Amino acid sequence: MAVGHDESTASLTEPRLHLGCQACGAMLVLEPALRTTRCPYCAAPAVVERPPRPGVPEPAFALGFALTHAAAKENVSRWLRSRSLFCRSGIRSAEPGDVHGVYVPAFLYSALAKSSFRATIGEDYQEQESYTTTENGKTVRRTRTVTRTEWRPLQGELEGYVADVLVTASNGLRNEELEALEPFDFRALARYTPALVSGWVAEEPSLTREACLKGARSEVGERVLKRLAGLMPGDSHRDLSHDTRLDWESLDVCLLPVWVLPVRYAEGEAPLRVLVNGQTGEVHGEAPISTWKVLIAVLVGLLLVLGGVLYARGGVG
Amino acid sequence: MSEAARVAPCERCECELEADDLRCPICGLSTPPPEREEATRERAKVVRCESCGAAVEYSVEAKAPRCDYCGAVTHVEMTVDPVDQAQRWLPFTVDPKAANQALAGFLGRKAFFRPSGLAQEAALESMKPLWWPAWVFKAGVQVSWTADSDAGSGRSDWAPHAGRTRLDFTNILVPASRGLKVEECNTLTPRYRFELGENEGRGPEEASVERFEATRSGARKAVLQEVERLAREHVQESGDIPGRRFRNVHVAVALSSLRTTRWALPVYVLAYRYRGKPYRVLVHGHDAELVFGESPISAWRVLGVVVAALIVLIAVLYFTGMR
Ligand SMILES: [Zn+2]
Ligand SMILES: [Zn+2]
Ligand SMILES: [Zn+2]
Repeated sequence: MAVGHDESTASLTEPRLHLGCQACGAMLVLEPALRTTRCPYCAAPAVVERPPRPGVPEPAFALGFALTHAAAKENVSRWLRSRSLFCRSGIRSAEPGDVHGVYVPAFLYSALAKSSFRATIGEDYQEQESYTTTENGKTVRRTRTVTRTEWRPLQGELEGYVADVLVTASNGLRNEELEALEPFDFRALARYTPALVSGWVAEEPSLTREACLKGARSEVGERVLKRLAGLMPGDSHRDLSHDTRLDWESLDVCLLPVWVLPVRYAEGEAPLRVLVNGQTGEVHGEAPISTWKVLIAVLVGLLLVLGGVLYARGGVG
Repeated sequence: MSEAARVAPCERCECELEADDLRCPICGLSTPPPEREEATRERAKVVRCESCGAAVEYSVEAKAPRCDYCGAVTHVEMTVDPVDQAQRWLPFTVDPKAANQALAGFLGRKAFFRPSGLAQEAALESMKPLWWPAWVFKAGVQVSWTADSDAGSGRSDWAPHAGRTRLDFTNILVPASRGLKVEECNTLTPRYRFELGENEGRGPEEASVERFEATRSGARKAVLQEVERLAREHVQESGDIPGRRFRNVHVAVALSSLRTTRWALPVYVLAYRYRGKPYRVLVHGHDAELVFGESPISAWRVLGVVVAALIVLIAVLYFTGMR
């Protein structure tokens, strides 16, 4: 797997491919998960072309790398230095290892969403209220203005297009990781052609269309909810729910540029995997927190509080 | 652009597409790819340079596939955002002489605050026949709205309402001119006869063209903003919202069948000088009756009115004070 990580749910598996190098004739052995390779004998870059296979869509689009290898490494070094003090020792001073660029397949989804929604809308109003209070030792009655909310039900419909929804099609890149790397700039979208990935590592989709469709639909649900929240009248609202029908769904494979860097920070530990958006330079990684450091910090904090209390008591007595 | 170059509209929203769109700019549906030869069996293709035949790799620096040997960049179908120019033109039907006379008529017009010798003293400085740019669109719009209104209100003054309405916009003009003010464009627009549209500009030889400055995506943004503004205006003024008073009007639109045409529209921009100061006047390119613009204000007459008003005010105060 090019990006690492493994998950065996809803994956596509296929045998290895044996193909001749177009430049020197040597035999190339291709991992089924990869779309590209480089000939070990003549170094010619090769892009695999396959006849159409049912259930395995060909990439329709690609976003080319815009961030250089050096810039990606620099971004990661800066990111490492800015990690929290509570991270495992060595993280903040670690040097990123070999960077490699991978075109990761994702599905680009769009649809026409027709929603019917229900919500409870809060309309504020003001009211005079009398109350009793003590003034100069006497109990007196006073009035004051209070704001109250009247809750009213509302239902309606909303129709709109939802576009640019991205879900991973690779079991090497989890959807949370992809979301952390987003947004990608679709103004640079190019129609897929082998030349765009020539000389780079490009993965084949390893998740089924159905699995990705499910993810895309749930993201659409979240987006519709956000859109509806912005549409609600009144001073406040609660219990917003919607029932959305998706028409005209479309799903295209798009190859996304991702820089992958393993970071070694301690002997015997698996390297930390850091990802960089190959277009915008956005860095994502999960730096492990040191339990010892946190524990010590908590203890020091407790001691300080205890010391303060003792000191205060001593001062009084 | 010839009519033959038109591409089929988007299948999902029926909005018009440009030949080089990869996806529909309104709904995001991908356009059908050009016919490509399908591989009949697996092969490991080496992409070759179109000019020297060496193997080509994608280059980050060039942001395109580039040949390391000869430097040639391989063309890739990319999302483009060009500045498009006018497709349809309205001819000048008012000639420069008529425009000049229209200015004379404008200067001779009697208006209270104008200096009396304006027509005699004003000197024409320049006259520029000009085509100004505008987008004209039509679209079907599904509008979803919500608002608070006094209809059905209980303890609070407001009750929430929601609704949906379908609107069809035809021939809506969005000015794209930087040289003319929006109000000027809006005054000129109703007098154009769009049925006279031609594929080329016809008018005085010295006529110039104000080019579109917004890119294609900028144009779409301007049109979409106008659609939203019109939808909001419609919801507020059509009586769709029950009751007499309302607030918090929210609208969401879904467009279909959007067609936009880029127009070049004729106008004369005239500048005259009066007592050392320049003033600008516009004469409609189709209708010399429509003349409007700046004119000097007689300081003496304004002063006269102010003094008269003060006298009246003092008099009123004086008499009311007597009682
Ligand atoms: Zn070879
Ligand atoms: Zn569309
Ligand atoms: Zn070359």
